[in-house]
Formats: sequence, C-alpha cells, structure tokens
Amino acid sequence: MFDTILRELQTNFITQVAFVISLAVLGIGITYAALKPRMFLLMVKNLRRNLVRTTLTFLATAVLVFMIVMIWTVINFIEDTTRDKAADFKVIITERWTIPSQMPPSYANIFSPVAINPDGTYRTNPDGSLQKNPSFILDPENNPDAKGIDIGSKDFMLWCFYGGSTEKGKFSRESIVFFFAMIPDQIKGMMAELDTLPDELIDKMKKTPDGCLLGKEKLESLNLKVGDSFRVYSLNYKDVDLSFTVVGKLPEGRYNTSAIMNYSYFNNALDQYYQTNKRYHPMHDKRINLIWLRVRDKDTFAKVGQILENHPQVKTPTVKVESESSGIGAFLDAYKDILNGVKYLLVPAVLISMALVIANAISISVRERRTEMAVLKVLGYRPGQIMNLVLGESLLVGAVSGFLASLAAIVIFNVFLGGIQFQIAFFPAFTVPPTALFWGIAMGSATAFLGSIVPSLTARSVKVSEVFSKVA
Amino acid sequence: MLFYILIPLFVALALLVVVSIGTAFTAVAFSFMPFHKVPLRYNLRNLQVRWKTTLVTALAFTLVTALLVIMLAFVRGMDRVTQSSAIPGNVIVLADGATDETFSNIANPSVQLFPDDVQKSIQKITRTQGGKKVREFLLSREVYVLVSHIVKQHDDGGRKRRFIQMRGISDPEISSQVHEVSLASGSWWSASGVRSVPDPAGSSDAKIEVLEVVLGDGIARILASDLGKKELAPGDIVQIGPNTCVVAGVMNPKGSYGSEVWGRDTQIQQIFNRGNRFSSFVLRTADDETGAEVAAKLKKLASEKYNASTETEYYKRLEGSSSVFRVAIWFLGAVMAVGGVLGVTNTMFAAISQRAKDIGVLRLLGYTRFQILCSFLMESILIALIGGILGCAVGYLFNGMTATSIASGGQGGGKSVVLQLVVDLAVMGPALLLALVMGAVGGFIPSINAMRLRPLESLR
Repeated sequence: MFDTILRELQTNFITQVAFVISLAVLGIGITYAALKPRMFLLMVKNLRRNLVRTTLTFLATAVLVFMIVMIWTVINFIEDTTRDKAADFKVIITERWTIPSQMPPSYANIFSPVAINPDGTYRTNPDGSLQKNPSFILDPENNPDAKGIDIGSKDFMLWCFYGGSTEKGKFSRESIVFFFAMIPDQIKGMMAELDTLPDELIDKMKKTPDGCLLGKEKLESLNLKVGDSFRVYSLNYKDVDLSFTVVGKLPEGRYNTSAIMNYSYFNNALDQYYQTNKRYHPMHDKRINLIWLRVRDKDTFAKVGQILENHPQVKTPTVKVESESSGIGAFLDAYKDILNGVKYLLVPAVLISMALVIANAISISVRERRTEMAVLKVLGYRPGQIMNLVLGESLLVGAVSGFLASLAAIVIFNVFLGGIQFQIAFFPAFTVPPTALFWGIAMGSATAFLGSIVPSLTARSVKVSEVFSKVA
Repeated sequence: MLFYILIPLFVALALLVVVSIGTAFTAVAFSFMPFHKVPLRYNLRNLQVRWKTTLVTALAFTLVTALLVIMLAFVRGMDRVTQSSAIPGNVIVLADGATDETFSNIANPSVQLFPDDVQKSIQKITRTQGGKKVREFLLSREVYVLVSHIVKQHDDGGRKRRFIQMRGISDPEISSQVHEVSLASGSWWSASGVRSVPDPAGSSDAKIEVLEVVLGDGIARILASDLGKKELAPGDIVQIGPNTCVVAGVMNPKGSYGSEVWGRDTQIQQIFNRGNRFSSFVLRTADDETGAEVAAKLKKLASEKYNASTETEYYKRLEGSSSVFRVAIWFLGAVMAVGGVLGVTNTMFAAISQRAKDIGVLRLLGYTRFQILCSFLMESILIALIGGILGCAVGYLFNGMTATSIASGGQGGGKSVVLQLVVDLAVMGPALLLALVMGAVGGFIPSINAMRLRPLESLR
C-alpha cells in the first residue's frame, strides 16, 4: 500500500496537490489546537450548538466528496494507464492499419527472445534453461542496430484472443468467455498485478494442456469452480471448439472477467484442424493479436519502433509499435468526450455545489450569531480571531467530512463491492486508491475554505455599535 | 452485514421521499384551490427579502439540473443515432456466431441459393442496364474494417491514433437505397473506386491514384478539424490509415453511418487483405415482421450458417451501452440530489427559525398547522423550481453540440458514433422533476417543524 501511495505521489499531479493541501490543513489544525486550545474548543462547541445544521452540512459535504472520489478513481486510473511510465516501459506490437490486429504465428518466432517450439511451448536446453531464439529480430547479433536494446526472456509476451460460448449457438453475458492464449511463463512479470500469482499455478498450467485460469466473476457467471471442466464453442475460430479444465483463479480486481489458456493448446487445436480438414483454418495465419515487449526507457522504445516498423521480415502485415499507454489511449479515444465532460464539467460543478452548500450554511450561522460576535469583540477578541473562528469551524466540518467520506468509499468499494463496477472499454472495475484519503481531506477543506471566505469576512466586520443598537 | 445495515436505511429514505412527494402534491394542489390558505405572496416576498440565501440555494439546484440535462442529452443523442440507423424491414446478416461486423467474415452471398420464399421477400429495384430494364435485389454486400488512423505525429515520436470505420460496398445505388442514405454534396465513386489526382507531395505534372471515398457527415467534420478546416468538400485529399483518399461526396446525416467512410468494396478488400470476403450483407424486406421471418430462415440455411436479425433488433442491442450510461447518470444524479436536498433543508431550517414569530402570528390569525406545512413546503418547491428552470436553460446551451462515443451491446465490439446532444422535453422534464422532488424532500422535515411550532412559545 505504501508503495502505491509513494508511486502516486511521484507521478500524479492532483494527488500531489491534494497531499500538500491535506498536510497544510492537518498541520495548521493541529498547531492551532495546540497553541490555542480554548479557541479550538470554542469552535467545536459552536458546531455542537446547532447540531442539526452541522450534521446537514457534514452529510451534504460527505455525500458529494464520496461521489467525486468515485468519479476521480475512474478518471485517475485511466489517466495513469494512458500516461507513459518512466520505468517498466511496455511496448505493444500490433497490425499497423486495422483492428482487430491479426498477425501470423511466424511473428512469434521473430519477436521472441526465447526459441519457441512448433507446438507453442518454450524450447529448453538440456539443463532446463530457456534456449535463445537465433531468429530474434532485436538480437544485436542479428541486427547491429539493436545494440543496447536488451530484451530478455521475461520481457516478452504474446496474446491470442480466443472467444466463445459455453452454450452452442447461444451468446449471452452468462455463457460468453474470452481467453488470452499465452505461454504460461509469460504470465508473471508481464501481466500487470499478476506478480502475486503462485508459481505452483504456473507449473500447473504448464503441466495441464487444457488448463485455464479464470477470474472471480467469470467463474461465478459460468457457475464453475477450480477443478471443473467445461467446453467452449468458438465465436472467432469457427469449428475450433475446445474443452478446458479450471486449474486456478486469477487475483481479484481487473482480471475478474478474464480467462487465460495455454498458447500450445490453442496452436495444437489449429494444427488438428488442418489434419482433419486437409486445409488451414481461415484464421491460421491471423492468430496472434498482440505482442508485448518490455524495454528500458522511451529512447529504447523509439529505437525498437524504428527497427520493427521498417524491417523487411515484417511486411505481411506491417506492424505498428506503440507504448502501452498510447495503445490503450487509442482505444479510449472514443470515450474522450465522456471523460473530458466528467473531468471538466461534472467534477468542477460538484465542487462548486459543495462550496455553495457550505457557504449557505456558514452564512446562515454568521447571520444568527451576530450578537455573539459583537459580544466577543467587546470581550477583546480581535476581528482576525473572529474570522479564524468562522473559518476554523468550516474547515473542521469540511476536512472531517471529506476524510470520512473518502474512507467510506475505500471500504465500501474495495472491501465489499470488489471495486467500482463500471465497464469502460476493457476495464471492468476500478479500485479506489489509498491516496483517495488525501483527495477527500483536500476537497472538503478547499471547498469549505472557499465557501466560508465571504461569511468569515462578514463576521470579521460585524460592528458592535450596530448590533447593540438593534438589540436595544 | 453491510446489506442488513443499509436496507432499513434505504427503506426509511424511500418512505421519506414518498411521503414528501405526496405532501408536496397536496400542497401544490392546495395552492390552486379557492380555499382559505397562506397566500403564496407571503412565500414569494420572503424569497425576495432573503434573496442571497434564495440565490445560493437555487444555484445548487441549477448545477444539479444542468448537469443532469447535459448527461441525459448525451444519452438521448446516442439513442437517436442508433435508432435512426435502423430501417424497419432491413435484415442484417453476419457470420454464424458473430454479433458484430468487426468479427464477422462471410463469403459473397449468392441470393439464388436462398429458398424461394426468402427471395420473394427481398424487395427489388428496377434499373436500366444496356438499354434493358433489370430487376435487382435490394441486397447490400459490405466489408467493414476498423482502421487505425494516425491523427498527428508528436515530437517525441508518439503518435495519436483514432479508429475510423471504413465500409466497402459493391453497389452504392443499392446500398444507399437499403440504408436510406443520400448525399449532401458530391457524388458516389467511379466504377473502379479510384481516381487519378495531382500528387500533393510531388510536382504539378505528377499524378497518383487515390481511393475515392464518401464520408459520413460526422467523420467529415472530425477529419476536417484535424486538417484545420471547417468542413471537407468533394475533391479534398485526406489520409485515412494507409490510404490517400479523395473525397467524392459527403452524406447527409444518417445515424451511425455519419461516423463512417464508404468506398469501393474491391479496393478495401485488397488494401486490408480481406480476399473476397465480406463482413455482412443487408437486405430490404417489406417490414420488420417479414424481416424477422427472413432472418429466422437465413439462420437455418444449409449452404452457409448466418447470424441474421432485423436492423431494429441489431441496433437495439447496441443500445446496451446507453443503458449502462443511463443507470450511471441517474445514480450520479441521485447522489448529487442528496447534496442538494441537504442544502435546501439547511436553508429552510434557518428560514423557519428566523420566522418563528411569523409562524406564531399566522397561527393566531387562524391558519391551521396543515396550511403552515403546505406554505413552507411550497416555498422550498419554489426555490427548486427557480433553480431547476435556470438549470434547464443552462443545459439547453449544450443542445446540438457534437460528441463521440461508442455504441455497444457489451459483448465485445461496438460502433464508434458521432452524435449531437439532444436537449428536448424528454430530457428537461425528468431533470426538472428531480429538482422539484429535491425541493419537496428537502423542505418536508423543516415544514413539519414549522407546523409543530406553538404560537405562544414562538412569540415569546
């Protein structure tokens, strides 16, 4: 968790601003409470006096902060995913001009640093180590331009998409399943958030040709558990229907609706089709959908792109090389207007709404307490102190409600609901990050401050003579 | 555990909302009856005197209503696009198992192999070919490709890309009749589908062969803005994916086809390595009932298995994403409404505590508790009405704005659509209603408090 917080603080501007505001509010608050405990207690007592108003303001702020945390979780995740990373720079190789990307199996042999057997498994040396691929296009021995690129066996992954239904001829949410056909050794290390997958599960996948890993929601929708077998009638590989055995469950989160199968099993099925029908399946030379490589940095990525996009061996079809963030960004381009609308219209409007609610409540409070403020002035309190009193009350309500609302969002969504269940493109659910606590405090405090500036200035300028002449 | 805590809370909230709305209806009805009641002038005057508080509270309603109007207008725009794409009587035929044209791959359909009753159900047009009148089936063969299009080259080597939908069709005249598409400007492409034009990058004498395309109105606007132009006209040269293209024509607005680029099927099959395969074919029957029968028969053909449905059903499935957005919008609207409700409750509590003497006087004048309740509830609803109307007005400013989205059935695939936000009564009505409900719910408990004030105590 601390690693996540640290990474967010290093890369995310909004989180940085929220962190600074939260620290400032907490620091000022704690310092004020320590140096002027009586004033702080007076603030708390004032809030307690009209509990109904304080509760209503608190609840209104909390509800709106909760909503913004929900929305910002989605926006933040998408922005983070489409932002180029400084480290763990992943590159996607796909067919250059069309979707879906469909590349021939020979490309696996060109782009893999490890030699691949015809059946789709990694080739090993007698001592068990993985064998180097002599045809690897980015090996400096084959291509001097590739000097310094350094792609190892753990820096490569290929994806083939195999989809179908567990009910023949019927395609519904409950029966559809889409598999990533992958080489098991590639799962850990290249798939985000799958580093915690036990090695035993990977070994099980290697030893069980028809083995598959399913996400939690996919298991539930197909009514399966680990150890069960099922059959899939293919959607995109017509007449290549396959049976599977569930060997394990994928971690909860972004893979809830995903499924992974063995690339070798998939390859063998297409070979079997050829042997049975005496002709290649129409998708035989279109089976590879994505190839991933991990490179050191952006400069290496640019170098890889230059080599691959112009290479004579990569002509049918030509490929494009893009960063993971850019590739995902292209898919999300269709949602750009929605996301911009949410970011630049909805969120600011809700923040203004929060400020208005607080401004209203504090204005009413100041209006009702004019006599009290006049008395405080008579007792020797300076205008600045009275202004701080009003600001402090507002900040206290704002900061506490913001913090509690974001905490509630983290608990409700992450613990009880498995994330915010809202499908955008291929992201099925979104986890509220721990840094949402900073967002909550910052939002609550900032809107409270903005909403109470005018009322606090009004309180500061209460004229004693005017108030008491009215009273008289 | 959370479920058992939240259920009673939701039930209590639901009861509060129902009772508040019921009481509000009564209060509004009451205000129009010729009974002895607290004059509405009293409430209006109070709103005027405390105009700052009224304005701030109403602004909160304005924001909620405006946001809801804009979001609902977006979804309405999406629905309009998908609904106007569907022609009653059209049957769209994909490969067996495919639910989307992106993943569909079929051979050139031979209508003569269809059963006789299916052939009879397909409408025909009469054309003159070689001086003879020929009757031809209204059947449009189409190859659909999603092209990865580079928008601009960034300095750091990264490229911005978007997906453009290209549709190759064999006979523009037939396809335009099947899809009821017409041209706003220009013409359809030549028989070959390519044209010789001066090389934009070469000398004035050099010529290149470019693909002739017809653009949907929406994609024409987007491609024009990429080039810094207001609109694209016939004759303009534009790069789409790997192809240099010349704009032969631009379509009139027509549903999801407004987001597409059309060209000669053979050219598109060749460029994108599709062989002689198609993605779909669409045929025209008399009506949806006939279309459904034809679709059912096509699904059972022995020669080739198809997945066929009427266009009405097909585009209805694409409204799946609209439904998801609609649920999300109302959820967000409800959450924002809670904030607004709490805000107006605060205002009304303060108003009532400041006007306790007024209430005492009203009671002494003979007004009943119920009349007091209705009066203050009306005041809350009036604030909501002012804010709601302003919100609708602000939301209306977004009417006609262009946006992009994806229409999808949620099972993979989907169509990128260019839509226009539609702000009409169907959008403003529910938003205004929500504002009024917020006013009713927010003002209910303070009004109950006002109703319970004892005259003598309030005057003390």
